[in-house]
Amino acid sequence: MTSEPDAATETMPLEDYLAQGGKLTTPENAPPRYRGELLRLMATFVDSELAGAAGFADIINQGPGIKERIAASRIVLEKLDHAERVLAVMGEFGADVSRYANHHPWTARVARDSDLGAARHGSDMRLAVLHYPLQDWLDAVVMNVLMGRAVTIQLDEFSRLSYQPLGDIFRAILPRERRHMELGEEGLRKLLQDKATRPAAAASIAYWQPRVAASFGATASQHFDTQKKFGLRHTGNAELAAEWTRQVDGLLGDIGLR
Amino acid sequence: MARFFPLEVTDVRRETRDAVVVTLAPRDEDRQAFDFTQGQYLTFRRTFDGEELRRSYSICAGKDEGLLKVGIKRVDGGAFSTWANEELKAGDALEAMAPMGAFHVPLQPEVSRHYLGFAGGSGITPVLSLIKTTLAREPKSRFTLIYGNRSINSIMFREELEDIKNTHLGRFNVVHVLESEAQEIDLFSGRIDAEKCARLFKGWVNIAAIDMAFICGPEPMMLAIAASLREHGLRDDQIKFELFASAPRRAKHVVKTAEDGARAETCKATITLDGSTRVIEMAKRGETLLEAALAASLDAPYACKAGVCSTCRAMVLEGEVEMETNHALEDYEVRQGYVLTCQCHPLSDHVVVTYDQ
Repeated sequence: MTSEPDAATETMPLEDYLAQGGKLTTPENAPPRYRGELLRLMATFVDSELAGAAGFADIINQGPGIKERIAASRIVLEKLDHAERVLAVMGEFGADVSRYANHHPWTARVARDSDLGAARHGSDMRLAVLHYPLQDWLDAVVMNVLMGRAVTIQLDEFSRLSYQPLGDIFRAILPRERRHMELGEEGLRKLLQDKATRPAAAASIAYWQPRVAASFGATASQHFDTQKKFGLRHTGNAELAAEWTRQVDGLLGDIGLR
Repeated sequence: MARFFPLEVTDVRRETRDAVVVTLAPRDEDRQAFDFTQGQYLTFRRTFDGEELRRSYSICAGKDEGLLKVGIKRVDGGAFSTWANEELKAGDALEAMAPMGAFHVPLQPEVSRHYLGFAGGSGITPVLSLIKTTLAREPKSRFTLIYGNRSINSIMFREELEDIKNTHLGRFNVVHVLESEAQEIDLFSGRIDAEKCARLFKGWVNIAAIDMAFICGPEPMMLAIAASLREHGLRDDQIKFELFASAPRRAKHVVKTAEDGARAETCKATITLDGSTRVIEMAKRGETLLEAALAASLDAPYACKAGVCSTCRAMVLEGEVEMETNHALEDYEVRQGYVLTCQCHPLSDHVVVTYDQ
């Protein structure tokens, strides 16, 4: 197979190809606007994983036991690994991978009572929710539970995207991110066995729930339309957010904290 | 950043009237870098009339051949493939990047799987690499190839495919579909489209037994096949695409230097995104092209804002700009007029920039 343009071969407009579920497989396939949107999507994921891992790393020592600290360490390790895998794809598009990993202070956080909405903040592309500081172990577990549900929903959406090498990576890491979510839920259930933790857990849920919900983005989004045209997204922000709400409501009902 | 290695051409063999198979040898110290995975491709670079061209060609050798081979089919008006078909000879040197691409699945010697490959024309090259490697390294697995061509004379690797059939008796099966030749069985004439797939899946290929499908060819063919495979129950993660044909056809780029003497403090920037154009008055200092575009409510792509990730790449069609930092664009891209808009300040009084090219 060749990348040399061939006037004689039957071909079609790339947008039609993508709209009909076609996949692209190399940086050379990607037209400029597609390339920009794809890189933006990858940068958002990489920055969120790096910032998430950095924030969680600081909390490992507060784990109540060795098992909890192992679980937290594993989450940090694997989130960094996931960032590295996607960053490697960015590298194929020209990104300077080694500089990228260190070009932002990933541990930086805003004040706990700030309100960023869904807007990007600072100079990196992490989701706004990852700018807020974790308060303590319980708070970190709650955040991980709520965010874990959001991440698995987003990754399921991304695993169908039209740049196949990236879709393959998202599909491969989805079960591991799902495991992070499960580790969080196991941890939370254990913490809640002590009734005294309930008020603090409820406060953390009240704090994180709207912030994680905002990470799904605006209901009507022109940006989503562009991504959809390129086959980078399929399901709207509102539908994904509704699925998350449904899952979280179920979970909170289950643990008696709704 | 992309790194090119020298490769020695050790053989050029004519495969069909329009295609050659080129055997290449890396230097001893680069052998590791060229230890490819089946289905991967090489990207070559060569200068034609002062302009650097980069072209990718799939490796058609199997892992166990101990050789690096690519198939190069001449395409109409294609400078690289015409040169390779007419002038390239043993002893010449070529420059290529290390193998890239993810058109494969990990092989497991103990498993027994049934693979289905579809190739259109020169799309056979990576599929041939998959076939040879899979049959050699997964001894219990089978491979069925559905291979479309214009006519019998244009079939690349026809004899080699016959040899593979004989070497791996009962494990490899090829169905030739020829566009412009009537065959005894009507099913094998015409194009591989949705209808053809449906008929093939009825009698010739037991789709329920297929573990993994690979498709390499022109876009309409890939779409038709993928749709048909999904319709017949394959999941997305069981279908692997390889698409090369539609490399973006870029317009020739000429930077016109502004003749306005560049005296003003501000610059009139004409910025195009998604086909719509906006004219912005921006300061020459203290504001980047990206910031100006964002301030004017253009949804311009960006991520790192540090000249590292290349998300904000755009092309300067007119005027002069200065790029403060660049860790992401290669020299040849810069020569074509590409800039990182997060790092750019205008120098001339007027610039024309597009994110669409």
